[in-house]
Amino acid sequence: MLSLDGICCRFGDTRAVDRVSLDIPAGQFVGIIGPSGAGKSTLLRLINRLVERSEGGIHFGSREITGLRGRALRQWRRDCAMIFQQFNLVDRLDVLTNVLVGRIADHGLISSMTMRFSDSERELAFHALDRLGMAHKALERAGNLSGGQQQRVAIARALVQRPHVMLADEPIASLDPGNATRVMDALRRINREDGLTVLVNLHTLDTARAYCDRIVAMRAGRVMFDGTARQLTPDVVRDLYGTDGLGQIDESVTSTSLRRLELA
Amino acid sequence: MSGTSLIILPRPPRLRQRLFWIGFVVLFCWCLYDFGFSPQRIWQGLGRLGNVLSFMFPPHLWTEWSEFSQILQGLGETLAMAFLGTFLGALVAFPLSFLGARTINRMGWPRFCLRRGFDVIRAFETLILALIFIRAFGLGPLAGVLAIAVSEIGVLAKLYAEAIENTSSRPVEGVQASGGSVVQGIRIGLLPQVMPVLMSITLYNFESNVRSGTILGIVGAGGIGFLLADRMGAYRWDETWSIIILIIAMVYLIDGLSGWIRRRLIRPSSA
Repeated sequence: MLSLDGICCRFGDTRAVDRVSLDIPAGQFVGIIGPSGAGKSTLLRLINRLVERSEGGIHFGSREITGLRGRALRQWRRDCAMIFQQFNLVDRLDVLTNVLVGRIADHGLISSMTMRFSDSERELAFHALDRLGMAHKALERAGNLSGGQQQRVAIARALVQRPHVMLADEPIASLDPGNATRVMDALRRINREDGLTVLVNLHTLDTARAYCDRIVAMRAGRVMFDGTARQLTPDVVRDLYGTDGLGQIDESVTSTSLRRLELA
Repeated sequence: MSGTSLIILPRPPRLRQRLFWIGFVVLFCWCLYDFGFSPQRIWQGLGRLGNVLSFMFPPHLWTEWSEFSQILQGLGETLAMAFLGTFLGALVAFPLSFLGARTINRMGWPRFCLRRGFDVIRAFETLILALIFIRAFGLGPLAGVLAIAVSEIGVLAKLYAEAIENTSSRPVEGVQASGGSVVQGIRIGLLPQVMPVLMSITLYNFESNVRSGTILGIVGAGGIGFLLADRMGAYRWDETWSIIILIIAMVYLIDGLSGWIRRRLIRPSSA
């Protein structure tokens, strides 16, 4: 269980995240939606401590997260993998090495300076690539792959961390519908097969509805809605995104789903 | 003027422009006067230059191997000085550049002081450093190597630091998000991005040091320049000319070679 308890994050006068409390049971697939600047990204970054909280606490089971330092913090980041909108791979390194970066938390100074990894680690990395259908690209430069392929490499990197939680910050925002579907399917499979808790920031409501057990909606740093896809009614959506100049929000406008396109 | 114009154009600063040009012309004329430029002197000088050039032809061809090998040794020494000087400079500049890069060293004051320190080193021309080092270490290539190395520390550390600042922080963030430390983030996320650029900068400076290294010999800091100055002093213009041709050939060769390597290094992707 991952619990956020009144977590706040201020940058100067702006409250990026404002007293957010959430309890996320293990194995849940949670989608976080909301307008740009709502604090979705900051929330995920608070959880793996790429951003420091101003107030509040985060617990994972009995582990207190906000006070972790040094080695303990690195181990938490390993246990709580993150994937990014822009993939954050090292373009000039090959795909396999990029995946092996997922093992870095357990490496000392010398082995990471020479970037030497053990055979069993390579096997693990190769296996992760294989699960995501990327094994055939293992020796190519990461920078030469398409966006969708890079994101799957990034997921493979996250997998070899053997994490308990997977955070995904707009993982499909810069992908075409086909790749977006592949990436979301991969996340769901990991969630179902490995029992990983997944927290994913999304721009597209229908993606959130299609994949997430639970949807959390944020606006101006606060949680506005927390429930199932069914409970996310058009009224809630209007409240969330505002309706200035809009009669109604048509979810298919932002849809990246292939199924919907096929129906049309 | 049309009274309906809605946009008020700023008046062209005519006066300032005119003053600038007047100042420029006055400065130029004063310089010509002060240095005693006169058509007569230029004409006389050109005549003598013609004499010197005529002495240079035909270029000298060495028939004795011992003489020619001496020249080759001088050329080789210049190359070796440029190589060793650049390499030593790069060795010191590399760690310093990380401390001088805004994206790595967040401590403003120490970084500022370090960057100004690079500037101070760069303010010394290699030739001046060579003269200083000759006093300390005596005549010969050691002084030349040290002169190149020290001046390269200033130049390379600045260029390296700028290259490091121009990298993307995303890969580093990716490594840290996987549980990597700051050092691991730099090694795995940053170095692969920046290394080809650093190699390219270093090679370029090596090229330029081969060119400027010929001068160091003239003040006695080793290399082909010493032989060049010697032949000039002895009015052996034909030999001087041959040495100059050899220097040009060497510089041309090194430029071509290192240019080729640099293009391969910074090519964004090689399969």
